[in-house]
Amino acid sequence: MATEKPCLLIEFVVSLEGHNLQELRRSASLATKVFVQRDYSDGTICQFQTKFPPELDSRIERQLFEETVKTLNNFYAEAEKIGGSSYLEGCLACATAYFIFLCMETHYEKVLKKISRYIQEQNEKIFAPRGLLLTDPVERGMRVIEISIYEDRCSSGSASSGSSSSSGSSSGGGGGAGGR
Amino acid sequence: MPAESGKRFKPSKYVPVSAAAIFLVGATTLFFAFTCPGLSLYVSPAVPIYNAVIFLFVLANFSMATFMDPGIFPRAEEDEDKEDDFRAPLYKTVEIKGIQVRMKWCATCRFYRPPRCSHCSVCDNCVEEFDHHCPWVNNCIGRRNYRYFFLFLLSLTAHIMGVFGFGLLYILYHMEELSGVCTAVTMAVMCVAGLFFIPVAGLTGFHVVLVARGRTTNEQVTGKFRGGVNPFTNGCCNNVSRVLCSSSAPRYLGRPKREQTVVIRPPFLRPEISDGQVAVKIMDNGIQGELKRTKSKGSLEVTESQSADAEPPPPPKPDLSRYTGLRTHLSLATTEDSLLSKDNPPTPTMYKYRPGYSSSSTSAAIPHSSSAKLSRGDSLKEPASIAESSRHPSYRSEPSLEPESFRSPTFGKSFHFDPLSSGSRSSSLKSAQGTGFEMGQLQSIRSEGTTSTSYKSLANQTRNGSLSYDSLLTPSDSPDFESVQAGPEPDPPLGYTSPFLSARLAQQREAERHPRLVPAGPPPREPSPVRYDNLSRHIVASLQEREKLLRQSPPIPGREEESGLGDSGIQSTPGSGHAPRTSSSSDDSKRSPLGKTPLGRPAAPRFGKPEGLRGRGLGSPEPAPTAPYLGRSMSYSSQKTPSGVPETEEVALQPLLAPKDEVQLKTAYSKSNGQPKTLGSASPGPGQPTLSSPTRGGVKKVSGVGGTTYEISV
Repeated sequence: MATEKPCLLIEFVVSLEGHNLQELRRSASLATKVFVQRDYSDGTICQFQTKFPPELDSRIERQLFEETVKTLNNFYAEAEKIGGSSYLEGCLACATAYFIFLCMETHYEKVLKKISRYIQEQNEKIFAPRGLLLTDPVERGMRVIEISIYEDRCSSGSASSGSSSSSGSSSGGGGGAGGR
Repeated sequence: MPAESGKRFKPSKYVPVSAAAIFLVGATTLFFAFTCPGLSLYVSPAVPIYNAVIFLFVLANFSMATFMDPGIFPRAEEDEDKEDDFRAPLYKTVEIKGIQVRMKWCATCRFYRPPRCSHCSVCDNCVEEFDHHCPWVNNCIGRRNYRYFFLFLLSLTAHIMGVFGFGLLYILYHMEELSGVCTAVTMAVMCVAGLFFIPVAGLTGFHVVLVARGRTTNEQVTGKFRGGVNPFTNGCCNNVSRVLCSSSAPRYLGRPKREQTVVIRPPFLRPEISDGQVAVKIMDNGIQGELKRTKSKGSLEVTESQSADAEPPPPPKPDLSRYTGLRTHLSLATTEDSLLSKDNPPTPTMYKYRPGYSSSSTSAAIPHSSSAKLSRGDSLKEPASIAESSRHPSYRSEPSLEPESFRSPTFGKSFHFDPLSSGSRSSSLKSAQGTGFEMGQLQSIRSEGTTSTSYKSLANQTRNGSLSYDSLLTPSDSPDFESVQAGPEPDPPLGYTSPFLSARLAQQREAERHPRLVPAGPPPREPSPVRYDNLSRHIVASLQEREKLLRQSPPIPGREEESGLGDSGIQSTPGSGHAPRTSSSSDDSKRSPLGKTPLGRPAAPRFGKPEGLRGRGLGSPEPAPTAPYLGRSMSYSSQKTPSGVPETEEVALQPLLAPKDEVQLKTAYSKSNGQPKTLGSASPGPGQPTLSSPTRGGVKKVSGVGGTTYEISV
């Protein structure tokens, strides 16, 4: 009987706490942000450093990150490519006194849309499950890639919640005992 | 978005563009009205068509140059400016095709201006590839609209030449009717055209040369590449094609904000950590600092760490169940190390001067420098823990990831943070460092003015305009110090900044110590900078006990040694310790003390280190005042104390070993004695301050808690 009661109390407490913890677990809080800077070694062409930020060491595999940044760099290189298509676009724009820009979006903008979709997809597939979030560099003036690192609020507070749970269990136990 | 607050309607800035528009449209209209009919009859109907096309071209380019966003950078958000404001350098160099290019910090926009970017004072914006601010179009000319501006110039030159030429032709055909209306108007238009032709053609020629050379007006006028090589040029043809044929760059402002639809929900995946990567971080008695930290640190850290040559074997594993977030800590710590090692080379001095937002309390990015040099301390765990704490509390809302018990053994934590946060973990290192430090620093800076120190010559211009070294080094008045201490600890981010800050703080502490503590008995010890009321019970008790002991008993060499060794296992014998202590006293300031000295002894709370190690460990260019901030008390004591003081300290340390929490404390004490401190520096467990035979001038072995053996190099 005596042993039964604590077990029941513990169960009661655990269920309470489990519920609370579940709610807690659903939240992730922004812990910090990492900024991947531009790589200017080749001039002002848009490319980002592929150096792996140490803050992400425990959050994402190095190779995944580098692959993402390299793909982004390739996209930007494609956007800035000076070729036949961009030349024709310029000529057409000139010929129409730039009214064509009202109807058509530029090559760069098209690639930016691709980049945006790619980042969205990367976020959904790779980064969000790891508690990270990539921000499109264009929102930062293409100066940095901002990576937000999220922490699991529940586990981060588990130590404190652990201690509080012990006190909670005692109070819960008392409540449970009172209820019985 | 560019700041709108300062903008008022200034009609004067619209005068040139209005004049230009009026002249252009007006003169051309007159030309078409009066000259072209005659020309179409006498010469050809193609003439007006040609002129119309050219004029349309001119208008289109003029409109684009006037109304197009030149490539304005949006203001950087607060969390991008991750390090403290007045420690950031004004310039950051980057290598472009082998040429060093300086990026200047823009105080308005709060980022380092990318190469070729400049801040337009008229528009109050940073513009990408800034060419110049053109009053005739009332707009900046930058990356996005340079092509239109250039084409405008070309087409305007052609248009002026056409108008002038065809007008002349008309005049020649109507020489006999010079007083006629048409002729008179044509002559007037010709005069206007001729008048504007000279400056416009000159400007056009100038820009043709610029385009061919791949320079901007700004670069040409400021003479950036006068004698040197232009890293932005790709050859004449490529430069021209880049201006004329490249796709129009996107604008950064006014973009449609995309809704963030990605949901981030724990639990999170973590990458697998290989065995070699696992950092055993132990924060308890006799527990070793991370192994990985030692390994992953850059040469700076590893070689500088005094434990490098005297690495104790790893202590028994702690009860990891206590530290639920241990893995996080570990990873953070490890990343901190790699971050340190990686970030060390480029611009160490720069990181010292990174000013941040003075009001920023939620700086996101980890202060790299903050964690950097802390690890240089004797024990790795303390830097780790502090690094972690610094890392975690980047956002104040983030609860502390470390359990209470986790913090207590940490020397730095127990003494550094307790006074700061009344139980609130979130007053993290970052907030303490960043906000508190900034606030404290700002206060001190303001109060100190521009005191010049020996560092002045070394101090670079910082982003907030102050000479950070000076302010850091000059001790502030007591009130400042009080305020500094009362609020969030103004400890600088670890690393590069710490030497100077801690030196200043050390001096502050010195100043503060005098009024605060009543020195009792020989040797006069300065009061601890640590606030007693915030310390844990055990620590306070130990401190008091220690004080008592120090006052009562004279130092006994054997006992000192024992106690010293027992404390943190890193104290040398008094005899041997004297000399090194003396010499090391200055070094102590360099050391990165891992926490506050519980007792405010000037000499005592000094992290001892062999000179060589110490010098290495700190890695700061300045020998004396470069104690990392954690070593506040340490550096303070080191600056203050004579060599003879530590003996009593060591004696007093012995009885304080009992509580586990005081492991770190003892570490500090032992350090303060100017003795080399081993890694981990876990003092022996309660009641077991064992002491191995000390060796002079060699490696001493001290056994600590749990049978751990520490080798201390003397």
